[in-house]
Amino acid sequence: MQRPAVWVICPAFNEAATIASVVAELRRCQYNVVVVDDGSNDATRHVAATVATAVVAHPVNLGQGAALKTGIDYALSQGAEILVTFDADGQHRAEDIPRLVRALIEQRADFALGSRRLGQSRNMPFVRRVFLFAATLFTVATTGLCLTDTHNGLRAFTRRGAVALSLRQNRMAHASEILADIAASGLRYLEVPVTVDYTRYSLAKGQRTSDFVMILLDLFARKLHR
Amino acid sequence: MIAQAILSLLLCSVLIYAWAEYRRSPVVALMSLVASLVGLYFIWIPSHTTRVAEFIGIGRGADLVMYLWICISLIVLLNLHLKLRSQHEVITALARAIALANADSATEGAPLRSTKHETAKPATPLARDASYKE
Repeated sequence: MQRPAVWVICPAFNEAATIASVVAELRRCQYNVVVVDDGSNDATRHVAATVATAVVAHPVNLGQGAALKTGIDYALSQGAEILVTFDADGQHRAEDIPRLVRALIEQRADFALGSRRLGQSRNMPFVRRVFLFAATLFTVATTGLCLTDTHNGLRAFTRRGAVALSLRQNRMAHASEILADIAASGLRYLEVPVTVDYTRYSLAKGQRTSDFVMILLDLFARKLHR
Repeated sequence: MIAQAILSLLLCSVLIYAWAEYRRSPVVALMSLVASLVGLYFIWIPSHTTRVAEFIGIGRGADLVMYLWICISLIVLLNLHLKLRSQHEVITALARAIALANADSATEGAPLRSTKHETAKPATPLARDASYKE
């Protein structure tokens, strides 16, 4: 079977150190890659432009949720049939993508979500593990989805699935928002085991546990606001 | 008497603001209207604050006014926060439109790029797959 048009969306903020190798690996696997430069202060945009299929640059920093939405809009405009979100800090593996894509097609799902609990996570600190467990409990309780890992940056959507995502949370609360949208859409979703490699770099770039409070605030404000 | 005059002047300007704001957001206007009217009432008949305070179980009238003030401030803060959020959504939409309009897909040495010229070529490995389409 021929492969459908797969677009990988890499939101990047000050990732000049890793973006080239991450995107080059994706390109080696024959994926279209759109890097969304979220108003970086470093050379992310120029580095990405040498390897990516396309680079879309926010004029100001808006947050990862906003960058994902911009990337999704761009990929949809380019006729993407399957959209994959992939962190730019090198914690995901390109070889996990075919499994997500295959799961979407073979099981006729619209969302395939990477799970490091079904798969593996290397060098994950204990605090991060506790934090993710709490976040998973919270999301399962609020959305009713049956998931083992709710805050994994590696996901795949069909075109129909991507259109169903509203993504109005600009900052980190988008991970919960995506799941809420999946629950509201009623479309089929499934989890696929993936490997997440924690490096010193990705841990420094990633969320801090204290961001959890801001995420809860964002989600609460979203409820009040229209 | 001096304090009463100054406070009344301030609250009257709030009344005028409420009247001007009514068309834009009636809820905010009505809330400020009620707040300033209650304020005027308490300024001119301060003994009533004590009576109301005692009735609902707060010691002094001044305390009652302070608690009310804290509540009103919090509501105003929340309202401002929501307004900021909606403004930020507008900025996001604007920034996204700019980003998409200036999308840079002229990557050199990228055989799989899908610019307008190349989408017509079905031979690339990323071309649509008819069998995938349901």
